[in-house]
Amino acid sequence: MTSYLDANVPSRSEHLWRYTPWSRVHPGAVDTVPQVDTATIKTEDFGLATSAIKPLPTSDIARIFLNEILQETTTIDCDDKDGNIHIHAGGHAVATHLHVTCNTASNIVIYLHGEPDWFGLALTGDVNANAQLSVGVINELSTDTVMVRVDDWSVHRDARFELATLSMGGHRNKSDIRSTLKGSNASLKQFIAVHGHGTRHDDHHIEIHHQQPHTNSHLLLNAACDDRSHSIGTGALTIDDVAQHTDAGQIFRNLLLSPSSRAEAIPELEVLANEVAAAHGAASAPINKEHLHYLMSRGLSKEEATSMIVEGFLVDSFSGLDSEHVRDEMQTRLTVHLECQLIR
Amino acid sequence: MTQEAQDAVGDYKYGFHDPESATIRFDKGLSEQVVRDISELKGEPEWMTDIRVKAYHHFMEREMPTWGNCDSLAGIDFDNVTYFLRSSDKTEKDWDDVPDDIKRTFDRLGIPEAEQKWLGGVTAQYESEAVYHSIREDLEEQGVLFLDMDSGLKEHPELVKKYFGTVIPHSDNKFSALNTAVWSGGSFIYVPKGVHVEMPVQAYFRINAKNMGQFERTLIIADEGSSIHYVEGCTAPTYSTDSLHSAVVELIAMEGAKIRYSTVQNWSANVYNLVTKRGVAHKNATVEWVDGNIGSKLTMKYPAVLLKGEGAHAEVISVAYAGEGQHQDAGAKVHHLAPNTTSSILSKSISKNGGRSSYRGMLQVTPKAAGCRSKVVCDALMLDEDSRSDTYPTMEIGNPTADLEHEASVSKVSGDQLFYLMSRGHTEEEAMGMIVNGFFEPFTRELPMEYAVELNRLLELEMEGSIG
Repeated sequence: MTSYLDANVPSRSEHLWRYTPWSRVHPGAVDTVPQVDTATIKTEDFGLATSAIKPLPTSDIARIFLNEILQETTTIDCDDKDGNIHIHAGGHAVATHLHVTCNTASNIVIYLHGEPDWFGLALTGDVNANAQLSVGVINELSTDTVMVRVDDWSVHRDARFELATLSMGGHRNKSDIRSTLKGSNASLKQFIAVHGHGTRHDDHHIEIHHQQPHTNSHLLLNAACDDRSHSIGTGALTIDDVAQHTDAGQIFRNLLLSPSSRAEAIPELEVLANEVAAAHGAASAPINKEHLHYLMSRGLSKEEATSMIVEGFLVDSFSGLDSEHVRDEMQTRLTVHLECQLIR
Repeated sequence: MTQEAQDAVGDYKYGFHDPESATIRFDKGLSEQVVRDISELKGEPEWMTDIRVKAYHHFMEREMPTWGNCDSLAGIDFDNVTYFLRSSDKTEKDWDDVPDDIKRTFDRLGIPEAEQKWLGGVTAQYESEAVYHSIREDLEEQGVLFLDMDSGLKEHPELVKKYFGTVIPHSDNKFSALNTAVWSGGSFIYVPKGVHVEMPVQAYFRINAKNMGQFERTLIIADEGSSIHYVEGCTAPTYSTDSLHSAVVELIAMEGAKIRYSTVQNWSANVYNLVTKRGVAHKNATVEWVDGNIGSKLTMKYPAVLLKGEGAHAEVISVAYAGEGQHQDAGAKVHHLAPNTTSSILSKSISKNGGRSSYRGMLQVTPKAAGCRSKVVCDALMLDEDSRSDTYPTMEIGNPTADLEHEASVSKVSGDQLFYLMSRGHTEEEAMGMIVNGFFEPFTRELPMEYAVELNRLLELEMEGSIG
């Protein structure tokens, strides 16, 4: 296996590290491999088992690094169960690897809490033939935390997979979420809502790889950036030459709320098959003045009207989720968070 | 053309070549001496020689791009390129004085005919330098300068010195450095305040020799409240070895001015077309790129606009056709640097017979650019399963009042549309041709009529035999 210290630190010219260089999300100096603790995982709804680390693919520097610092892999027994998992992190540097294998149907919401300086999260999973899995990840980490998240999901024949992310915690986040549609008629829906406040820097890289025919994927990223926050969304959608009859769509939307906020959207598309419908869209705009006027003419203050619009924009990110459990958890947490944040 | 030559050329109708009859031809390869020799031969002022030498050193030090089609770029052998070739001793003003063999080439390309009918001026560049040049008298009387770049430097050194390299410095990229070091030919245009050049002016670029490098340099300055439409066409013979075309085009639109730059690039499939094009639009000015890429082996071209003044507008319409062995890596870049600037980018591409077309775009809004608006639309058609289409857009938004949209889609020709046309008696091939022409229509309608007709004919030729 490639050793971290032998691997090259990627340059900023690489698509993946352009806006958030690896040196800014490493827990210390880039040429060191620090000791890290394992996060506490609690759940009343699923069975958990720990084992020796299941190695992550060595496709990039973050995964190579996590392979060296992770001490174990926690496997979730989730078949035919719905529920929540709480990952609590504390101390200087903490990391954890969760692996999900779904053979039937399951709905899981993973909460990330705590105040570590650095948190490394690896999520991997197999959605096996005919299975239906819905996973929600809610980032409620402290505003001082730097987080590196890597995901590797495989979706097999006739399986349905939903992955939702609500990102509102942490100071600097780099999430690299990769999914591969490995069997025909596999389907993936991915939803991400980002709320940028303070000086949050939130970088999502989403790779979706269609390897088989009759697969479909849908991605929606909504980011609302306030204060001096910065949101980045980069997509890499690849449709292999054999993956005919594929349907793929990606939408990146940014709502900028303050003069110092920034947003980047780079939805890339590589299509090698011809019988496909592949589309992407990206949009960025301030709050629509007509919407604001409409609400204010009904008696709301400007602040109330603004927060209502932001809430509607972000809550809508999850309305396409089929899983009621995941949708309700995500939307409720988002509403509570926004009420604390926006109406001050 | 003999049958043998015809076979070698295939569908590419401009693939013929004439015997080379160079009056001056440099040895292949590049060195500081070659750069100095080009400058000396042209009798340039010292400051230009210094710029060239500086650019040469930058070119040698600069790495090749690490993005894009690196495999194809690695195939360029810079030591096997002729950097300067003079085929006529001077630039003629009368078509009859142009050497016969060169005249024949341009006759076959239809240039003098077009000039009579619908152009305000013409420059014809053969290999490294312009061989023919003319401008309508009324334009000349109004003070419009339309010269080849070498004459521009000789006759108006103060203007060239003031603006040369201000939009695209030699250190911009490896190929702009190469161009700055060895540039030769191209157009120099200055439109005085308030003058509107109603008829388009045209430059036609032709590479004839093998392993030739053409490095034209174009500088267009539209002074306050003026307007001009510049049209550029390019062809080259089909050889089994590669040629290199690396141009630099700088446009400067002063307050309230408008520049439209239309290109139909139809290089043969052995030409590397690595071009840097960029315009600056000052207050309330407009810069428009209408960019068609049909030929070449590898094109890397991203016409750019810097919207520097309040209320400036940029428009890019780009189409690309990638056939067998071709990679059209085209796109557009717009940088909103001032408030209330607007831009629109429309990109359309077709991939066929294993061709690859890529859209690579950049839309940047700086914190100062309040209230700007932009819309980007990219559509790609895939005509068979061997082809490939990529989209690499980048949006960087640093001002919350910006209103930006980007949308892209990749699909095949709709079965419904084909069925509709075929049910009305068209063959599948005709129907496909009509759909493709319709797909490119937003581009062709922006071209002067003659170009539009030519482009449609070219596409029909390319589409022949595409069914089954």
